[in-house]
Amino acid sequence: MGQLSLKNVIKTFGDFEVVKNVSLDVQEGEFIVFVGPSGCGKSTLLRMIAGLEHTTGGDIVIDGKRVNDLPPVKRGIAMVFQSYALYPHMSVYENIAFPLRVEGAPEAVIRKKVNDAAAILHLDERLHQRPGQLSGGQRQRVAIGRAIVREPEIFLFDEPLSNLDAALRADMRIELTRLHKQLGATMIYVTHDQIEAMTMADRIVVLHGGDISQVGAPLELYHKPQNTFVAGFIGNPRMNMLPARCMGVTANGVQISCQGQSVTLPVAPRAGLEGAEMLLGIRPEHVTLGQGDLTLRATPNVIEQLGQQTIGYASLDGREENFLFVLSGTRGIEDDKPISLGFAAADCHLFDSTGAALERQVDIAAMTAPTL
Amino acid sequence: MAVRSKDTRPMIDRYRWWEVVLIYAGIFVFLFFMLAPFIEGFLVSLKPLSQLFSSPYKFWPENGSFKAYYTMWVSVPRFGRYIFNSFLISTVATIIVLALVVPAAYAFARFNYKGMALVLGGFLAVSMFSGAVLLIPLFRLMRTLGLLNTYFAMIVPGVAFLIPSAIWLLRTYMMRIPTELNEAAYMDGASQFYTFRRVILPIAAPGIVVVAITTFIGAYAQQFIFALTFNSKSDYMPLPVGLFAYFGKQDVIWNELMAASFVGIAPALVIIFFLQRYLVGGLTAGAVKQ
Repeated sequence: MGQLSLKNVIKTFGDFEVVKNVSLDVQEGEFIVFVGPSGCGKSTLLRMIAGLEHTTGGDIVIDGKRVNDLPPVKRGIAMVFQSYALYPHMSVYENIAFPLRVEGAPEAVIRKKVNDAAAILHLDERLHQRPGQLSGGQRQRVAIGRAIVREPEIFLFDEPLSNLDAALRADMRIELTRLHKQLGATMIYVTHDQIEAMTMADRIVVLHGGDISQVGAPLELYHKPQNTFVAGFIGNPRMNMLPARCMGVTANGVQISCQGQSVTLPVAPRAGLEGAEMLLGIRPEHVTLGQGDLTLRATPNVIEQLGQQTIGYASLDGREENFLFVLSGTRGIEDDKPISLGFAAADCHLFDSTGAALERQVDIAAMTAPTL
Repeated sequence: MAVRSKDTRPMIDRYRWWEVVLIYAGIFVFLFFMLAPFIEGFLVSLKPLSQLFSSPYKFWPENGSFKAYYTMWVSVPRFGRYIFNSFLISTVATIIVLALVVPAAYAFARFNYKGMALVLGGFLAVSMFSGAVLLIPLFRLMRTLGLLNTYFAMIVPGVAFLIPSAIWLLRTYMMRIPTELNEAAYMDGASQFYTFRRVILPIAAPGIVVVAITTFIGAYAQQFIFALTFNSKSDYMPLPVGLFAYFGKQDVIWNELMAASFVGIAPALVIIFFLQRYLVGGLTAGAVKQ
């Protein structure tokens, strides 16, 4: 019930491969988020699972059954569209009842199911209004209601919150998480907003150019990105990348030289790296003022004061790219005056010349709250 | 305290007094230019026949009366029949056009297939010919089919010439209905026909009304030429041809002719006003986030 497998799924439009050989297993009841930049194929992949888009190659399997050629209804799937796609001439009640009317369900069943869905989504008061009279959040809830009444095993969401304003989006995020707990159904959610991905997902699938870049729990992607793309995509502001050279490999990690300093990073060692060009990644939020295992002399060009944190864009000697740092709290840093920025070796990420990460030695499970 | 302005109009809608005068003067000139024939026609219908040829000509009727509106029914007793014929021909033509055009426009708006551009272009090309150019071939066609002197002789060519513009008009309207609605209905298990009937038709209703109005007016306007050429039975004569009955052997009964013209237009006006009520804009509001 609600188990989905993608096996070597391919989608081409003409000569252009939008989705390249994607394989993925989604467990029942999981909340999976597809995330990636525009044009990475995440929406296309979702529309193939939905049955709106033809699959060029590979198998889509739901509960052990190949569904490539089945229409959406027979797949046991419901979808919520980015643009809501409500029927403007029907009341909220009729909009939610639409799938049941198509099925030819008896009036009593329709009334019960619609009322149940409306209760879950707090739409009881709105049932006799038209979509045009509702706010954005309410319209999105109607669209979700239309998906719920069919009691599908898998819900698909195509960027459902991207049309809402920031405050409403935060509310709807919490509401969707609550809904997922309440229904226990498998949900697949497409977004380009990494906050949505991080907060809602059981597992995140990062897509890049039609390929899966990494699949994992949100914190795993944050702490152990497998490549430079995921490292740059997850986390905001994005991770700083500094060129480095490998000086030697020991059992404790990899010794590198970066910005004229030498440091040993605690990452899984690998043979044959000596002398190789590498990339050192450090998240802006791990940078502090003053000395660290690695210390940089930098001149901030722009300082953004947000009150709860201070974001700086600094230039390093000999580099065009800005070096970002995020300091918690309000810090009275002046721009155009050189400062020292340091960070710990344990917070660094290390990538080889192909962009693949050397696994960091961090234990996410150990990051628990101190016992009281 | 400073002077508070009571004017609630936005700044872009505010004009100086002389701008307002100019705007209304412009509106008056154009309206008068368009409506002058109607005004003169109406004034003529009020005048006694003798006054029409008085010299110097007086625009304003002396001893004006609505007498012509009574006597016209006596001079041409079948006039009611002509109005009915006009009405019937236009209504039937409109119904046939709508029955054909609504599904066709939907297909042109939603589906992509080979040769679609060609077919659409063909429709456009056909509508460039006026019916008058094709009268002789049409006459031969009607004669071969044995349709001369029937209502069909006036309805069928009318429908044929009205379809292209109706398809283009409605297709444009239907293309504005978001595809997501089709996809959502498909996701919910609805068939193409179910979606068409329950989702597309109600949303396209204002567009269909526009097409109905233009088609009705079109059919009303063009029936003259088909009636004149393909029909010689006075029982089937529509209004524009029927008006010739006021052309006597010696005189034209101008005042009754004008009165008859106005009375003849009345049913069409009623229909158009009735349909206009359904021209509600913004029916797609709330369907998708634009």
